[in-house]
Amino acid sequence: MRYRLAGSVAALALATSACGGGTAAAPPGTAATGSTAAPGFLAVADDKLPAGGALNVAVHIDSGAATGLDPQLADVATSWQLMSLVYETLVTVGPDFTPQPRLAESWENPTPTTYVFHLRKGVAFSNGREMTADDVVGSLKRLLAAKSVWRGQLGPVEKVAKVDAATVKVTLAKPYTPFLAALANVPAAILPMKEIEAKTLDPAKEMLGTGPFKVQAHRQDVSWNFARNEHYWDKGKPAADSLTVTIAPEEAARVAAVQNGSSALAALGNVDSAAMLAGAANVKVATQATTDFYYLMLNSKNPKFADPRVRQALNMALDRKQMAEVALGGQGKPTGVTPAGLPGACDPATLPSATGGGAAKAKELLAQAGVANLSFTLSIYSTEPAPAVAQVIQQNLQQAGVAVKIEQMDEASWSGKVYGKVPATFDAALSWFAGYADPGMVTTWWNPDVAGFNVGFMQADKDLNKLIAAATETPSGAERDKALAAVCAKVDTDAQMIPLVTRPATVAYRADAVSPSLYATEGYGNLLRLVADARVKKG
Amino acid sequence: MRLLLWWAGRALSSAVTLLGISVLIFAALRLMPGGFAETILGPFATPEQKAELAVRYGLDQSVFAQYGHWMAAVGTGDFGTSMISGQPVAAELWARLPVTAQLTLLAVAAAVLAGVPLGVLTALRARPGGGGVAGRLLSGLGVSVPEFALGSLVVFVVSRYGLQTSGYLLPAAVLSIFAISATARTTRDAVLNVLVEPHVTAAVARGETPWFIVRHHILRNAAGPVLTLTATITAYLLGGALIVEYLFNLPGIGSYVVQAVGRRDYAVVQAGVLLAATVFIVMNVLIDLLVGLVDPRLGRRA
Repeated sequence: MRYRLAGSVAALALATSACGGGTAAAPPGTAATGSTAAPGFLAVADDKLPAGGALNVAVHIDSGAATGLDPQLADVATSWQLMSLVYETLVTVGPDFTPQPRLAESWENPTPTTYVFHLRKGVAFSNGREMTADDVVGSLKRLLAAKSVWRGQLGPVEKVAKVDAATVKVTLAKPYTPFLAALANVPAAILPMKEIEAKTLDPAKEMLGTGPFKVQAHRQDVSWNFARNEHYWDKGKPAADSLTVTIAPEEAARVAAVQNGSSALAALGNVDSAAMLAGAANVKVATQATTDFYYLMLNSKNPKFADPRVRQALNMALDRKQMAEVALGGQGKPTGVTPAGLPGACDPATLPSATGGGAAKAKELLAQAGVANLSFTLSIYSTEPAPAVAQVIQQNLQQAGVAVKIEQMDEASWSGKVYGKVPATFDAALSWFAGYADPGMVTTWWNPDVAGFNVGFMQADKDLNKLIAAATETPSGAERDKALAAVCAKVDTDAQMIPLVTRPATVAYRADAVSPSLYATEGYGNLLRLVADARVKKG
Repeated sequence: MRLLLWWAGRALSSAVTLLGISVLIFAALRLMPGGFAETILGPFATPEQKAELAVRYGLDQSVFAQYGHWMAAVGTGDFGTSMISGQPVAAELWARLPVTAQLTLLAVAAAVLAGVPLGVLTALRARPGGGGVAGRLLSGLGVSVPEFALGSLVVFVVSRYGLQTSGYLLPAAVLSIFAISATARTTRDAVLNVLVEPHVTAAVARGETPWFIVRHHILRNAAGPVLTLTATITAYLLGGALIVEYLFNLPGIGSYVVQAVGRRDYAVVQAGVLLAATVFIVMNVLIDLLVGLVDPRLGRRA
């Protein structure tokens, strides 16, 4: 049961499959044969089907954190997913990752540092109270003051002000291109500030939002029951009357649930589950590409990896294509620090490590660094497919004469070992990041002064930090692509946290029970992003 | 007076055992690698957030003080609060008990109703110098097939044919394979031991009917080890059938505690282990009493 808190905000391991009964998963981000999905989608709900009905889905983990249900403090994708059923943001992201209107009907960007949001009329919280500009201003100010991970992604926000009853203005200290993408994620949700300030609502214990559903019942680690929000502004949605989210940590239980129809849709974590479901009646399996990616941490505060040439040698010896093919069943993609699949992401095939000469050159570099018979321990957690990725790393590095001992442990032990001490005592570790919806966002975590979690094993690099800042400040376009490519190359040669391959997600659903909508590529690990569109097929 | 002394002795030894277990689980949890803060708050948590959490749950105090507070609270029936859900642990254990109890009841009932007759039958049909190979092979297989292998297979195959796996029958059936096999083997061995006793030969010589001999002379004398095994299986399952609960996604005590171990949710694990230990001890005391009633010789020995 892997739930990657992950240094990063892990995303949920999802899988999606499209197409005919029990088909194996298609390549990530593509609709399976026979699908009528539009570009950018794995599946599009059939709106000719009548609305109504009860929808049951199964996921592997509940939202569970000491910070409770407060969306602003949620730092894992599994929590974002559940909270997104109740809460909404000013903007959202489309299938191509462009910002789309949500609670803001439109916005203007009169100067590079000013955003003016025009709020949608007729939006109400599920208690019936109308959402106001004060809720928006209050929510954003609360987030800026919160000890939230997302504060670091929101950028240099200087001021949030109400212009009039339907307009809010945000001023940045300097241009920040990922601002709208950051606003599109659950921690930036609009909260019922009137109730929170009056202390009639504790957002850590109760969810009350403007989203399509409201909570009816929740039993920790067992299930959530949601009912339609009768005050929802997007008339006709949600299509289903109710939604039950069953928490089933064991993959076999979710496979069984979708096979026997007790769940109409299930998120799967193991790339082999698609094969298990092959031939199951009325079951479609699809693979959703995500911007999440695995990365290798080399502890540069450990003498073994203090010399950049050693780290570069290891990076050069890694075969990302093999990782994608062998460990991820051909469903992952090699990536640089800008997640493959996002517009403007760099091409990993052009990076120094990819063009440097492979294992032979790696051996030379190690010899130049005076290192012979290098051996180290790679700490990983036991959830698949991380062990498979680690095994490919082990084999790759063996070609360069480096011996890797894989140390597999449970997630809590792994977290304690990797994040628990400053300076860290491990040699190397494997994990994954959620890749988000803008190629510049995740690069922020390569600055340990901002990220915090990696100060124990990563040296700050002023040049890299400048490049990261430049990439986030440059407006989208060719110039920004160049700036992002420079960040990619620098991260690649710095090789303290080495990006490897994207992490696919898989979903299985009953074609006779539900007609869902699913993006082909997801940035925030949200399998249920379009669940309000899903049509329940009644027997 | 002797009975009172016996009870006092058992109560004292049970209390000491529980105390020892409480120390062991408390220490083991704190010696496990991986801190609660990194696990529960995530890697992005600041030192201030970690400190706040520690203060909120009293984890900033010395381990001796923490243990003292825990024991004092347990004495009043307060098993603490889950760091994940913020809910009282006792309430969640209570809510999950029916799931675990029903699973246990079904599996133990199957073990007794199928395992004992099978054991008696195979013992009675046993021939000197061999025989019963198939029975021994089957029961050996039943005892040694891991629950996760059998359970995974059952879940997959049954669901493939569109059948529900959400009730209690299938998971109880998976659990009962081990229980039936172990009970049958133990019963068979116990009956075989009794069969060679002179009083059985005497009963046969007196012309008593086979059923009367089995009921009055064999079963009562063979009951000791079978009852002990049944009690052990019951106590083990009441502590939570971890793997089966997981595979069949049943919200029982076992899955609750396992998830809590993974998250270092101390209060939940401590309460779960203490509960399982208490059930085990109570079951053992009850079985001693029951064995004494069924076979007074053993009762006097106890």
